Parts: sequence; C-alpha cells; structure tokens
Amino acid sequence: MISASRSSKRGVRSFRTKLLVAMMLVVSGLMAFALYFAQRHVTAAAQHDLQQDFQAELSSLDKVQELRNAALVERCGALASRPRIHAALEDNALDLLYPSAKDELRDLMEDEGSQHSGPSLHAKFYRFLNAAGAVMSPPNPKNIGQLSPSAETQLILKKLPETQQIGYIRESADATDETVDEVVGVPIFSTETGDVISALVVGFEPFELIGKGAGSGTKSGIWLDGQLHMPSLSKSAQAALGSEIAKAVTNSASAQSNFTVTVNGAPQLLFYKRLNPNSLFPPAYEICVYPLADSMAQLHRLRWRIGGAGALLLLGGFVASHVVAARLAVPVEKLELDSEKNRAQRKRAETALASTSEKLKRSTRYSADASHQLKSPVTVLRAGLEGLLTRDDFKPEIYEELSALLHHTHRLTGVIDDLLLLSRMDAGHLQIDSQPVNLSQIIEEWLDDLGALPDSPEVKIEKKVPPDLCIAGERRYTSLIVQNLLENARKYNRPDGLIRVSAARNSGEVVLTIGNSGHPIARDAQEHVFERFHRGGTGSHISGHGLGLNLARELARLHNGDLRLVRSQDDWTEFEARFLIAAPTCGAAQTP
Amino acid sequence: MMRRLARFNVVVALFPISVLGQVTVEGRVELPESHSAPVVAKRYEIVTHGGVLSTQPPLAVVYLAGSFQKPTSHPRKQIAQKDLTFVPSLLPVQVGTRVEFPNLDDTYHSIFSYSSAKRFDLGRYRPEERPIPSEVFDTPGLVILRCDIHEHMRGLILVLDTPYFVVTDAEGRFRLRGLPTGHYTLNAWIDSKTTHERPVELKKGETLQVDFR
Repeated sequence: MISASRSSKRGVRSFRTKLLVAMMLVVSGLMAFALYFAQRHVTAAAQHDLQQDFQAELSSLDKVQELRNAALVERCGALASRPRIHAALEDNALDLLYPSAKDELRDLMEDEGSQHSGPSLHAKFYRFLNAAGAVMSPPNPKNIGQLSPSAETQLILKKLPETQQIGYIRESADATDETVDEVVGVPIFSTETGDVISALVVGFEPFELIGKGAGSGTKSGIWLDGQLHMPSLSKSAQAALGSEIAKAVTNSASAQSNFTVTVNGAPQLLFYKRLNPNSLFPPAYEICVYPLADSMAQLHRLRWRIGGAGALLLLGGFVASHVVAARLAVPVEKLELDSEKNRAQRKRAETALASTSEKLKRSTRYSADASHQLKSPVTVLRAGLEGLLTRDDFKPEIYEELSALLHHTHRLTGVIDDLLLLSRMDAGHLQIDSQPVNLSQIIEEWLDDLGALPDSPEVKIEKKVPPDLCIAGERRYTSLIVQNLLENARKYNRPDGLIRVSAARNSGEVVLTIGNSGHPIARDAQEHVFERFHRGGTGSHISGHGLGLNLARELARLHNGDLRLVRSQDDWTEFEARFLIAAPTCGAAQTP
Repeated sequence: MMRRLARFNVVVALFPISVLGQVTVEGRVELPESHSAPVVAKRYEIVTHGGVLSTQPPLAVVYLAGSFQKPTSHPRKQIAQKDLTFVPSLLPVQVGTRVEFPNLDDTYHSIFSYSSAKRFDLGRYRPEERPIPSEVFDTPGLVILRCDIHEHMRGLILVLDTPYFVVTDAEGRFRLRGLPTGHYTLNAWIDSKTTHERPVELKKGETLQVDFR
C-alpha cells in the first residue's frame, strides 16, 4: 500500500512535470515567435524611418538645391548673355573675357560676409570653357578664385554642354585638407550663330546635407569618382567605405539605394543618391550614413522586454501549472486510490475463488475417490448376493431377503455411478463427444422400458413426439437425461395417473416436455429441486437418492441446453428440457 | 584729247582730290534676298545669320580702295540710339572720323565695342549727356557696336581708309561722285564676311557703270 501511494505520487509528479514542460514549450514558442516578429518589425521600421529621414533630407536638399540651381541658372544665364561676355567671345576679344566677367560676376564672387544662414550663392571660383571643353586659362586667377591645376583639369568636359550641368570636383589645398566643391556649368550660346561657343563653370561650396544640429552620429559626404569625401571619418574608413559604395554603384543601375555597412565596428545604414544625374561631369553621389545604434538599442530593449514578459509568463505558467496540476492530481490520486482498493478486492476475491476451487476440487476428488472406493465392495457385495441366490439350499424367505438386498445394491451402484459422473462433471473432466442423436428413438426406448419396471403404478402415457428428432449430443448422456425425467414422472405419479411426453422443434432447439400427474412439489421446495440430494419433500416410500434432476440439468447444460421446472401445481408437474438441433438429420436407428 | 587729259592729270596732282573728283561710278550691287517680310517703315537693323552680320533689309557699302590722304581734321558723324536701335545701323566712316552716339531714347544706353578695330566703352549715359559721347575711329575695320544694357542692340561702323564710299539703297543701287581718276579697286561690302572687289580704271569726266553680282 505504501509503495502504491509512493508510485501514485511519482505519477502525479511526472504528470505535473509534463504539464509544466508543455506550458514552457508553448510559452517559449510564443516568445520566439514574438521575438522574431518584433525584430523584423523593428528592423523594418528603423530602416523605414531612416529611409524616410534620408528622403526628407534629400527632398529638402533637392528643394534647396533646386532653388539654388534655379537662382544659379538664372544668374549664370543672365551672366552668360551679358553683352560684354558675348562681345568678348563673339568679337574675338578673348583677352577681355575674364576682365569683363570680373565686373559682371562681381556680386557672385563677392563674399556676402555674415549671411551664412541660407544656402550660399557665393561662388568660390569660375572659369570659362572654350569650344573644345577645355578651361580657358585666366590671366589673373586671383580675382576669379584660385584653383589647383588638378582641380582645374576636373572642370574639363569632353564637349560643351547644351544644358546646365552639375558637377563636383575635389580640391586639396594640402595633403590633409580636402574639400569638394559643387560646380554649375552653364552653356553660352552665340547670339550670332546660336551654337554653344563656351561654357561658364561656377564653383560653389556644396551643401551640408545633415545640419549641424543633427548630432546623432549621422554623417554625410560626397562620393566622387571612386572616392568618398566624408571629413568626419578617418582616411582609411573613407577609403573602405568608398570602395564599398563603388561596388554598390557599379552593380546597381538605380540612382539611389541603401545598404548596411560597418563603420568603426558599428553597424550603419548607408544611403546614396546620385547628385548629378545625366551630367557630363563625373557622377557624384550624396552619401548619408545613419548609425543603427539607436534602432539596435531599441531592438535590444524590446528583446529584453519580450524576454521579461516571457519570463513572467513562464513564471505565471509555472505557478498556474502547479495549481492546475495539483487540482488535476486530486481526481488522479483518487482514481489511483480507488483502483488500489479495487485491486485489493480483486485479490481477495481471487484468493477466495482459488480456495473455493481448491475446496471444490478436493471435494470432487473426494467424491470420485469415495465412489471408486465404494464401487468395488458394492460389486463384490452384489456378486456375493447373486452367488447366494444361485444356491438352492436356503429357505424361501432368505431368497426374498437376498433379492431385496440385491435390489439395494443395484440402487447403490446407481447412486455411485451418478456421483462419479457428477464428480467428473464438477472436475470439468467430462467431455461431450457431440454427435447427432435421435431423441425420438431414445424416448421410445425408455417408454418401452418404463412399463417393464417393477412396482410401477398404472399410468397412462400420452406421447406426442415427431419421428427422428435430431439433437446434438452424446447419446449415453442424453439418454440419461430422458431416463431420469421419465423415471421421475413415473415414480412421483399417482395411480391411474398420466404421463405426457411431447417434443417439438423450436428455432434451432428441440424442446422436450415431460409432465406427470400427481402430488405437486411443495412451493417452497420447487426452487431446490435441482440441488443434490434434494427429494422435493416427497415421501420416503419413493425410491431415489436426490441426484437425478441435478445430474440431468448438469448434463443438459453441458449439451448447451437446459432443464427447468415449468410448473408443479394442481396435480400436474411438468419439466422442460432443451437441446440444440443437430445439423444433419439422424440416420438409421441406433441402439443404446 | 590726250593733251587735255594729260593737263588734267597735272591739275589732279596739284589740287586736293576732293576738289578734283570728277569721275562718277554708278551701278548696282546685287543684295542678298531679304529674310524678313518687306516693311513699310524702313528700319535697318543689324542681324546675324550664321555668324555673319549684315543689315536687314540688306544694304551694301561701296567704296573705292586705294591710298588716299587722311583727313587733317576729324570729320564728325553720328549714330544715334533711338527706339533701342542704332540709327543708322550701318555707318561707313573714313579713318579718323569722330562718331558721336547721341542717346535719343529716354533710357540709359551703354555703348561699347570689343572689336579689334576699335575697343571702347562709353559707359552708361543718359539722353542729356553732354558733350555727346563720341569716339574717334582711326583703324580700318569693322566695329561692332553693342549696348551693355540692351543686349540685342547691334550697330556696325565700317571704318574705311578712303574718303570715297557710299551706302547703297535698298535695291542695291549706288552712285559715287567726284572720284579721282586712276586705277583702283571698287569694293562692295555686303556683310561682315563678304566684300566684293572690282578693279576699275577711272577716267576723267567719265561715268563708270559697275554692277556687283
């Protein structure tokens, strides 16, 4: 019992563990799901935000640049159409070109001083290109903005532009200080021929895309001709980024895109956009590098939050599972206990059954033994009595006495036979060798014998049995059943009584009914008539030993049939025996 | 007859040419076709077509090229600015001529030229500017006049090393009177890139018919 309760507790614990594991699995799955989606969402949102930022910056830049370019174009266009410049170019007075321009472009070149708030229209330098696209060298570069020879070569175009061109040039004052200037190239059309005879190229300081206020680590620069100009980065970082951008720019046909890079070990989102599409000048790209640290931190926070929520959920789940397991365990435990009780009961019953069966076996063996032990002396006794009857030197009374004794030994033999049969049945040793048996014939034979029996009262016999009723069974035992019933019907009849025998087929069975007139069996004895050694309260003047009906019923049941008392009242007692119909019909008449 | 001619030659040598000019050359210059519809009010403008400056409607300048004495005093000529154009738009002058540029508009003008024959810049001046801004043109060649304020304005001054020149009429007809006798080249300036030449022998009292076509 103790080990059982222990095992039941173990079972409950394992159930609880399983429940907990299942809950943990569900919670972890949910968490993983949530984390995955949160990460995706945050990353996408961050990229989207930054992209929008960049687009907003760019569009504002575009607007400002558009404004500035419009202003510049108008200004440069106006300048380019100045009669003096045209006169210098058209009237073959190139020596007067720069001097005239100096006057005409004076306001463009003059520093507006403190007005640094808006986008500056202040030019750093200007140059004219000749018909071949080469720079016309100025007589006095000081007035028109100094340029290094390398910078000046960057102004050279393959041909003169028909439209306004935006370009960028790299100007390095010394090894460390490098600047990028934006240049606007405006064609100058001849008023005489309408051809482009020259171009005015004006250099400006480029825009700072990211305002000075945006100190969140965002960097902007210009990528030009394979190199990145981003002063906030180290030279090596610029070179590394520059080559990455070069790869992206050459691989992608689109004028703008973005990708993730690592700068100084930190992930950054890099945007690029062509600044001068369709320009004759080398392509230049606006580069913006946004640190992803913020979004990473946000992601980190979110991860922690989700992790915390998951842990809480898990904790809650743990507690809940404990509670649920405990509550669920109650009926389980009860069930366990109940089944324990059942087991004990069954065991007891089994033990009882075993002992009963043992007792039964013993008693069966005993009765069998006893029958065997009795049989030999009775046989000896009968043989002795029969031997004595053959002598002729006794008095007649002695013969009578001997005859009576012999009759009793016959009865004793019958009882012993019955007991032996019953004990075999009880031991389960009796096997029915089932064959088709002609019941009609058996009845006929026993009815014949009935008349031959001694001291039988005069009774009338009514028989209603169809010929060749075939049942499944072993002939000697079915015969015994019929004999027992008929003998009882005669024995317990009254003088001038009646025995009615009828048999009929009834849906797979043969029903044999044997009724007799005479004193009925007492009502309270009726239920005991099939018990052994029960004589039905009949007078002792009737021979019998109280085994016949019991034996008959046991045999009938062994034949998968039955025997029952139909009624016993008003001078009429009737028994009914049922047998299974044999499949084939019975052949020729058999003798018992 | 021959003697008379010889005597005349002596006279020519002794007298100033202007006085002695007896020869007349007349004829017609075939002008390029007008690119614009004929206008009633003849206003001649300088137009450029394919980089060539000419007047519109076309006019030509016929002049006698040769070695002539420069004038001792500066003859004065005028090119006015009127209705934002130069009037006349084409002015042939002899080397050493002072050309005045009166402003007849009620706005500023700023006449200048970057032409190699004469570079000058009169600066902005009002109509009332006195003395009238002027320049002496002492190098032969074509001077393109521009206004710094009105970029479309063009004027041409053809500075010639000769006192004998005339502007044709709209049909290209011309007549040069009082020319000296001798062998010369008669030129017809049609536009900035085109000048026709004809060698002529001018004889006293003769009227020579020269057609440029």
